[in-house]
Amino acid sequence: MSAVTHDDLMAYADGQLDPGRVGAVEAHLAANPDAASEIALMRRQSDALHALFDPVAAEPVPARLRARRIAAAQRQRRGRSWSWAVAALVLLSLGVGGGWFARPLFEAPAASAVLIADAINAHTVFVAENRHAVEVGRDDSAHLASWLSNRLDTTLGLPDLSAQGFALVGGRLLPGEPQLGGRAAQLMYEDAAGARITIYVTAALPDRQPAAQLASLDGAEAFYWANARITCTVVGTLPAERMQAVSQAVYGQLTDGDVSAPRYRS
Amino acid sequence: MPGGPVNDFLDQVETCVPALRRYARALTRNADLADDLVQDCLERAIARRGLFRPTGSVRAWLFTILLNIYRNSRRAAGRRGETVNLDSVAEPASPAPQPGHIALAELARAIDALPIEQKEVVLLIALEGLPYAEAATILSIPLGTLMSRLGRARSALRLATGVTAEPHLRTVK
Repeated sequence: MSAVTHDDLMAYADGQLDPGRVGAVEAHLAANPDAASEIALMRRQSDALHALFDPVAAEPVPARLRARRIAAAQRQRRGRSWSWAVAALVLLSLGVGGGWFARPLFEAPAASAVLIADAINAHTVFVAENRHAVEVGRDDSAHLASWLSNRLDTTLGLPDLSAQGFALVGGRLLPGEPQLGGRAAQLMYEDAAGARITIYVTAALPDRQPAAQLASLDGAEAFYWANARITCTVVGTLPAERMQAVSQAVYGQLTDGDVSAPRYRS
Repeated sequence: MPGGPVNDFLDQVETCVPALRRYARALTRNADLADDLVQDCLERAIARRGLFRPTGSVRAWLFTILLNIYRNSRRAAGRRGETVNLDSVAEPASPAPQPGHIALAELARAIDALPIEQKEVVLLIALEGLPYAEAATILSIPLGTLMSRLGRARSALRLATGVTAEPHLRTVK
């Protein structure tokens, strides 16, 4: 059996020693207290490093370091031209007049990319939850509506999607982009088969300009629009025609035909 | 529909982010610089994910990118004088170190003083717990070089923190 080396001691301390060498090293340690305290010191060094820096790994990951958001922003930069064209088509199919939506087609709506990515992130996180999918359940829907309305400083109705086969599960308040109002509301709906969609609502952007956009990311489809009162992103993984029916219903009910309504409740 | 290779890749990246932030913070000792470093790393990795070969681990690939960016930024910073923000690591409110214990603040300063190639290695192994072979791949060095840098880093830390293997012989600066 070959002599125990310093590399063996390090590997033993790091838990990376070849199992075939463990016996030799342990025999060496039993006979050499100095080597044993060397191992103990190496382990204390590692423990101390963890004590210093593990708190960083336990912090919540900042929004700018979320992989999905980065991927969405990159996709956005690449896919801007075609996604605008698709959004324009959808708005036409929703029966929205051509006058006002022309504007976002020619300006880069950077805020929308961020909101869409946040909406998809929130969707991915919470649709997977069973017991804690929502903060306030459907049994308390009147409270839910007034609470979220107060927090977003706007009037937020809860869309009725029963005609599309979806029932309200509930909703929650989420932190949003600091420069975009800082808060967001998420409403969750579920169909009889357990398929879930979420609606991500924030107060209007500072420019309060109408806009609309479609995005697709990792199998999730998002339909975003903004008006003078709110921004809204419908997220789901449904087939295209169901996504469109749901988006259309949400758009119709939350817009209420009045895209120039005041931002604040009277 | 959800699932699929793209989704898997992003999931694996997400899983690595806390460790990347910890490693970057230990390297730079500056919270903002560290997160900038991780953001650059993620942006490059995601933009170039077509180049990733699934034979290796996403983690090793991310650490490789992060270290390349870090070295490049140090080279740039070296020309205009580097600033280190020591306030970013809280002084632990611990009592005077007991024999055999390691004072965290002293250890943090000792890590800052390590040559960069030793610091990279000891943090990958002792903090991130990476297998030796994976760390050697990340750093593009032979295993023997990795082990000798690790050994030198550990004895430097031991000298610098004033802790000897025998508690009663602890030297006082």
